[in-house]
Amino acid sequence: MRAYSASREEAVRARNLLKDWAGEDFLTQAQYQSMEQETVCDLRRTNNFLRLVLLLFTLIIAGAAAGLFFTVVFSQQSERTMGIFLLIFATISYAAAEIAVSQARLYRYGIEEALAVCSVAFLCAGIQLALFSGRLYSLTPDATRCLVPAVGAISSLWIWHRFGLSYAFPAAMIFVVFVPGHWTLSHSTQHLIVAAFYATGLAGVAAVRSRHRLDYLNDDYSLAEAFLWLGIYLATNLQLSSLSLLVQRWGSTGGATEFSRPFYRATWVLIWCLPPVVIARGVQRKDRLVIVAGMIVAILSLVTIKPYLDWQRHTWDPMLAGIVLASVALFIRRWLAREPGGIRHGFTAARLSGKGQHLMNAGSAVFGLLSPHSITASPQTGGPEVRLGGGDSAGGGASCDF
Amino acid sequence: MTILTRLEQWKERGDLSPEQHLHLAGLCRGEPLSLFFELNVLLYAGVLAFVGGLGWTVSTWSQQLGDVIVLTILFAIFAACFWYCFSRPPAWSRAQTPSPSLIFDYVLYLGCLTWSIELAYLENRFHVFSTQRDFYLLATAGLFFFLAYRFDNRFVLSLALSSLAGWFGLTISHRPLHQDKAYRLYAIFYSLVIGGGGALLWRDGMKPHFFGTYLNIAANVLFWALLSGVVIREGYGGWILALLAACGASLAWGLARRQFAFVAYAAVYGYVGVSSIFLRSLYGDTAVLSYFVVTGIAILAGLVRIARRFGREV
Repeated sequence: MRAYSASREEAVRARNLLKDWAGEDFLTQAQYQSMEQETVCDLRRTNNFLRLVLLLFTLIIAGAAAGLFFTVVFSQQSERTMGIFLLIFATISYAAAEIAVSQARLYRYGIEEALAVCSVAFLCAGIQLALFSGRLYSLTPDATRCLVPAVGAISSLWIWHRFGLSYAFPAAMIFVVFVPGHWTLSHSTQHLIVAAFYATGLAGVAAVRSRHRLDYLNDDYSLAEAFLWLGIYLATNLQLSSLSLLVQRWGSTGGATEFSRPFYRATWVLIWCLPPVVIARGVQRKDRLVIVAGMIVAILSLVTIKPYLDWQRHTWDPMLAGIVLASVALFIRRWLAREPGGIRHGFTAARLSGKGQHLMNAGSAVFGLLSPHSITASPQTGGPEVRLGGGDSAGGGASCDF
Repeated sequence: MTILTRLEQWKERGDLSPEQHLHLAGLCRGEPLSLFFELNVLLYAGVLAFVGGLGWTVSTWSQQLGDVIVLTILFAIFAACFWYCFSRPPAWSRAQTPSPSLIFDYVLYLGCLTWSIELAYLENRFHVFSTQRDFYLLATAGLFFFLAYRFDNRFVLSLALSSLAGWFGLTISHRPLHQDKAYRLYAIFYSLVIGGGGALLWRDGMKPHFFGTYLNIAANVLFWALLSGVVIREGYGGWILALLAACGASLAWGLARRQFAFVAYAAVYGYVGVSSIFLRSLYGDTAVLSYFVVTGIAILAGLVRIARRFGREV
């Protein structure tokens, strides 16, 4: 079922870990070289930057080639014919991705990923044009139209499973968001259906992953579980969920007011129940990604408490949130450090691997630049009146629109 | 064969000591699980949220609170942060030095951001440097560079670099005419200054791990500046030549140093620049789409060769 054999995937994982450990001086160079020889695998991999660029250019080529085909050969054809040809392109793209993996042995190389992504995009566009072109938009739900997002979700899941592309899983989750809109007009029901889909997925992942606690699949399932928890939370939090945002964007009466009061209150209770559940699950399984998902949903609950309850927002709210976040971090650090060796219940605040450090080094440079400030300043327009305005940059600090 | 089985085999063969085996097997099982990265992210988010709220509060309530209270509060935060950092400084070294504690870097970062808010407030309220407004940006950049090198802090280094960029930008904003061209030239000058400065410090062995930050910022600013010259309708000949030269240099550096971000910059910025010129003379969907197919394949073929020869992950 998977494009890469378990032995190859384990070899890749072992090589990555060995490289990390050698970088951290957990292994001597001699040990590293000796062990590396035993984890040789024939898959072709490349650097992440090159992978990204290869993915980008393959997407450009595939998109432009499809466009060129329709421009040159089928410029006068109906949308239905175009749809059928898009389905053919989807098949070709998918076959090319399979060949790239099986013959060229590409592994996270960008090219095969772009071809797989294109196959999903062509498939969805093809079904839409082949089956639903010419149909007028109706205010009443049309269940058959859910075919496009449903196929998108299923094919994305297949790509995730087959090629192990982690981003295909959230893509499938996004497709799922568009399914219930074709079944019912009730936004409450839509939220419930999406949450139910994600909960079902979560149950499935939780059941399957226990068998893969120590092998290469653990990382994939960990990411999937973290995304599913996040998805359930987003579907529950009516102040954040994409459905709510879309409703507001399309000029409906909008947002939270359209939901019944009991439903609205129930979701508020749920968004406060979910963070401890997610964090507890992550801590219990020692799953870093699930813990991070728990942290994110906890922060989101904190951020949305006032809009949820229609309380007045204050300018100092972010300051309080910042103090809470920093205090929590410091409390956890001290709590962990109090135990001998700085390890409590299997957790430590110490750095054990170079992975996080590399990420932080890159992140600190990028986020340092993105912190609240403006690089170039606009000429000052305001005078020395009471209100300050149109100001200059304060350098590394906040932009000064006082 | 899972990594745990391999570790067991290596231990039995004597390739790994029992202590190493215990440690590495523990890492594989997540025992113990390090929360180092997560705690850092929480602290960073906390500082950012606090400073954002502080700026928002000051800008909204400055009239009601009055200058004295606002400045006192800002100064108190700034002073507390800097007292914390200077009262327990890590020993200075030209090489990379670890932070003395988890919160040290973030206290310094908070102090720097608060300093910026205070300076902006002072400048806008009292026009301390009304004749030379850009002076405080340059001074701030200088202070941040000093702090970044004293405390080995990449966050503050990025603030210093962006403050310096702000100084360049503010200097141009005084000029009434030809601002686009002036911005472009200053951006190039800025990138050359920080790239050259970073290289000198790197060669001198002064915090050599900062060089990547210098180089990435310099490269991106330079490419954007050159690209903005290429997309103009007239007089772009020199800019495209400069862009191609920069792409060549970036490619050569990336391959020589195995820093493939620079290979990616060369490919993407170069392609965008060259395409913007070619597409001006192409008319019709067929020609444009053909261009993308042909050039895309050519670039892809080149990149695959590079990936095979230089960028192979082991």
